[in-house]
Amino acid sequence: MKFADFKYRLSEFWSEFKKERSGLVGLAILVISILIVIFEPFILPWKEANTKWRSIDYWQDNSAGAPPSWTNFFSKQKAAVTVRLENPEDEIIEMDGGIKLASYTFDYDYSADKAPLDVIFHMVGHGDLPVQVAVERPDGQIIELAQRFEQGLSGQDIRISLDNDGRESVFTFIKSHESEEALEAYSSKSFKTCNIVFNQTREGMATEFKPLKGTYKFIVRALLLVPGYSEIEDPYTVVTGSVSGLLGTDDSKRDIFSGLVAGLKWALIIGLLTSAISVLIGVMYGIISAYFGGKVDSVMQFIYQIVNSIPILPVLIVVSAIFKPSIYMLITAMVLFFWTGSVMTVRSMALQIKEETYIEAAKALGAKHSRIIFKHMVPLLIPYSFASMALSVPSAIVYESSVSLLGLGDATIVTWGQILHDAMQGAAILKGIWWWVLPPGLLIAIMGMTFAFLGFSMDKILHPKLKTR
Amino acid sequence: MNSLLKIENLQMYYFTSKGAVRAIDGIDLELFMGESIGLVGESGCGKTSLGTSILRMPTPPGRYVEGKIFVDGIDVIPLSEKQVRKDIRWQKISMVFQGAMNCLTPVYTIGHQMMETLVEHQDMARSDAEELMKEYLGYVGLPPEILQRYPHELSGGMKQRAVIATALFLKPQIVILDEPTTALDVIVQAQIINLLKKLKQQFNLSFLFITHDLALEAEISDRICVMYAGKIVELGTNEQIYGKQGPSHPYTERLLAATPRLFKKVEELHFIPGTPPDLIAPPKGCRFSPRCNKAFDRCFEEEPPLVEIEPGHKAACWLFH
Amino acid sequence: MYKWFAVKRVLKGIFTYVIIIFIMSVLFNTVNEQTMRSSIEEQVRAETMRLKNMQPSALQHFQEQRRQELIRLYRLDRPLMERILFRTWNTITFNFGKSTIIKSSRGDREVLTIVGEAIPRSLILFTAAMAIEIVVGIILGLKKAQKPGSSLDKSTSLITMIVYGMPTFWLAMILIMFFVYQLKIFPSGGMHTVPPPQGIMYYIDFLWHMTLPLLTLLLIGFWGIAFVVRNIVLSILQEDYIMAARARGIPENKVLFGHTLRTAAPPLITMSVLSLLASIGGAIIFEGIFSWPGLGNLYWIAVQQNDIPVLMGDLAITVGLYQVGLILLDLTYGFMDPRIKVGGKA
Repeated sequence: MKFADFKYRLSEFWSEFKKERSGLVGLAILVISILIVIFEPFILPWKEANTKWRSIDYWQDNSAGAPPSWTNFFSKQKAAVTVRLENPEDEIIEMDGGIKLASYTFDYDYSADKAPLDVIFHMVGHGDLPVQVAVERPDGQIIELAQRFEQGLSGQDIRISLDNDGRESVFTFIKSHESEEALEAYSSKSFKTCNIVFNQTREGMATEFKPLKGTYKFIVRALLLVPGYSEIEDPYTVVTGSVSGLLGTDDSKRDIFSGLVAGLKWALIIGLLTSAISVLIGVMYGIISAYFGGKVDSVMQFIYQIVNSIPILPVLIVVSAIFKPSIYMLITAMVLFFWTGSVMTVRSMALQIKEETYIEAAKALGAKHSRIIFKHMVPLLIPYSFASMALSVPSAIVYESSVSLLGLGDATIVTWGQILHDAMQGAAILKGIWWWVLPPGLLIAIMGMTFAFLGFSMDKILHPKLKTR
Repeated sequence: MNSLLKIENLQMYYFTSKGAVRAIDGIDLELFMGESIGLVGESGCGKTSLGTSILRMPTPPGRYVEGKIFVDGIDVIPLSEKQVRKDIRWQKISMVFQGAMNCLTPVYTIGHQMMETLVEHQDMARSDAEELMKEYLGYVGLPPEILQRYPHELSGGMKQRAVIATALFLKPQIVILDEPTTALDVIVQAQIINLLKKLKQQFNLSFLFITHDLALEAEISDRICVMYAGKIVELGTNEQIYGKQGPSHPYTERLLAATPRLFKKVEELHFIPGTPPDLIAPPKGCRFSPRCNKAFDRCFEEEPPLVEIEPGHKAACWLFH
Repeated sequence: MYKWFAVKRVLKGIFTYVIIIFIMSVLFNTVNEQTMRSSIEEQVRAETMRLKNMQPSALQHFQEQRRQELIRLYRLDRPLMERILFRTWNTITFNFGKSTIIKSSRGDREVLTIVGEAIPRSLILFTAAMAIEIVVGIILGLKKAQKPGSSLDKSTSLITMIVYGMPTFWLAMILIMFFVYQLKIFPSGGMHTVPPPQGIMYYIDFLWHMTLPLLTLLLIGFWGIAFVVRNIVLSILQEDYIMAARARGIPENKVLFGHTLRTAAPPLITMSVLSLLASIGGAIIFEGIFSWPGLGNLYWIAVQQNDIPVLMGDLAITVGLYQVGLILLDLTYGFMDPRIKVGGKA
């Protein structure tokens, strides 16, 4: 197959393909998907979603089961969005004895109607560090939130959470604004700290939340006791809201959008690898069976019929339940069943080609079998196999999601099916957590649709008798 | 007016996405009682299209553009589909198609398909219908058991005979036969031709026999009509066309020359160089001019009309003006 | 002619089934035997419980003896091939043994009962869906074939493609979220309300439970069939014999429903049934979502409870039903296509 020939065929195919609107849509979506996969590191809001999907620490600052941030648009009472505050104003004050006071101020614009759920302060610490956190409210009041004395750190993360570590101070704060009776029923443990911190100070603030909107300054101060030894690095603050991210969070606090983006490449890998390999095998199988005929054909047909009468998914599930395979083993298992898909059509097409006189001529000229197969038969069957490949991708993706849905998927990766499995486990349907249930399946459906568009358009071009213009 | 069938200036084009293919571009033809006209020409000259057009079912995307087709004095083109189905198709004109292999629905028995055709056109008791079917099967030389058989159980020749019987049993006066023997081997071919000749005489039928095989033509037809590129180029009796004497259209001459004779020494095989013209944009002037060895200036400019060059013999060529 | 064809086909099916079960037995041998050994232990322990007043050493001896007896009974002491063949034979004769945890509705742990109960429940749902899908699919497909390229044709083909890769279980999830929890029209799952009502309400309650699963299956199912019908019918309409029938004056609706549809029937039935058999796989998750107590749901439960015998039994039955489906398919095709039914030169 000369390259010029190939280019010509390709351009001929392309000019036909261009006319199919659905095919172009499919192609566009595929290209976009591939681009997303390539640029994944830039697109992921949570960069380590791939490896840290099952870590609890990584996601701990999020709220669980939070709807997507844009749902705020539809509600009258705006909820606070989870944000990460970085690049604080920093100031280092020299004090006596070489001790330095490092001060970081984070500005937080609070304009929601509902209080955030928590404010979490992070920094990497070295040495011995007393750390103090305070907040300056828009109404000028300053609340000392928490303090801690960390010792002997060598680069570990310090995490101070308002809701955990700031209860006492906040309770003290509210005591100065509310009467004894009003607070009788409460203790420092019985309210949400943020509901106080962000509340307008007045009588009755313990029972009713009125947002104090404006700019809050969170000040983190650390005393670097031993010069050269005590250090603070990379301070940042997370304000945990009740809505989060592009697609919300699941009940393990994981950002769903990141999960879906991470799952995209696996969907593509699973779909394309399975279909490409199985169609290749199927085509070769069909050609060989048709070409050599006779006993070879009979045996191959026999094997084909056996494999073809096995229902794929039940077997895949049982195999996965017992052997708990990795994703590549699962792909292999799928290939072991999928290859039968194209065999019959290829075989009958190959049988027709075999009858052509030019094949006889080639044989008479003494051409080797491999030459005849690869030079004369394969090029004619390649176009069909592409359509076939595209059309088997959706099944591969759905099978993997089915296996994952049962909890039998590969736990080292993130796939859309697994996200759905977690959703089932977390009773998302019951709880109406639609942003957990809708998007993963929708993406599976869109991927399926994309390859259906591609496959059917290609198929139409190769079987012109179905065209009825 | 004794003509059973009169075609006047018929134009039928296929309206494809690439343009209108002028498959039938101005045809005038008359068929009289008891005579058989052979329609010859190369593939793509429009003869099959003419066949289906006469039956008022041009293959889509074909449509009538101009002209009239008179069957028994009535123009069939403007009639409604229902009328054509009830009165014209199969009652007055029937057709035996090309490729007997594929003309019968594979899932119904021969008997069923014949019965269904009969019942559609005539009110008959089943037993009478069966009798009629067996009678006609007898005429074509098939045993009555055929009625219970499925098409795939019959040989090509048997299928063709069954199709002929079906074409005849409503006693139409005109039968169009489109290459009825092309798919059969020579021996069966001869049998079918003999059968057709016998039936023609027996029932006083008129045939429109479409083929590209001149020898076959000579066997069965009384008059020959030569078509080229959607037009009639010559029309005459067997004698006039095949006979050595008398004038002839250059195309017909070449056609005859291209058929090797059995008793003559063949030095080299003659053929007509070039290819038939593109019917979406046919050439100006005479359509055969690009391939004609006798063409002169006028041929490329003006289209020659079909005129009588001797009694009963018409040709469309400037040579005869 | 046909009888001979039918007999051959059934035999081939049985033979194929045996081979598949054999392969499964080989593949899952290790797991199965592990399960057997633990159930033997369990049995031995249960028997020992009942014995009182025995010396520890005598007890031990008894356990060993019983253990060995059971091992011999289940042939675990025989060579590998024999064990596999023994298991294959058991599976073919529906000797599925006992489950490890799951109980049937009668309270016993016979895998055969457990699986057997589930069969009709799956069958009724999926055959109902299949019947409706075929009818609607044929009607729609014929309409599409009559005017190919029309807006009906194009729009329905578009929907077919959109729905092609849609997992039935996801649509199920969405519909449940909406209809069950939002609108509260349908029950959330299962086949009956507990406790089931009496008399005619029993059936109505059943239908009510079946509506949402059926609807989900239908919404995705009939498009594919319509698409296939359209294509098959279109290609038949281009055949010479259709034109010949029209030329003979056969009215259009007879041409369409008689000649065309009848000729289309064999490949059409093949395609429809094949795609429906393929959906058996999807049934597993689907039934799970609806808690529809059929064969699919059983997989789910068995996987979660790690009940290997039930898993094996379910698999064997599923494979068997699949075979039966394929056999029925070939037999129907052969019956409808006179070239096979009557034979003779094709």
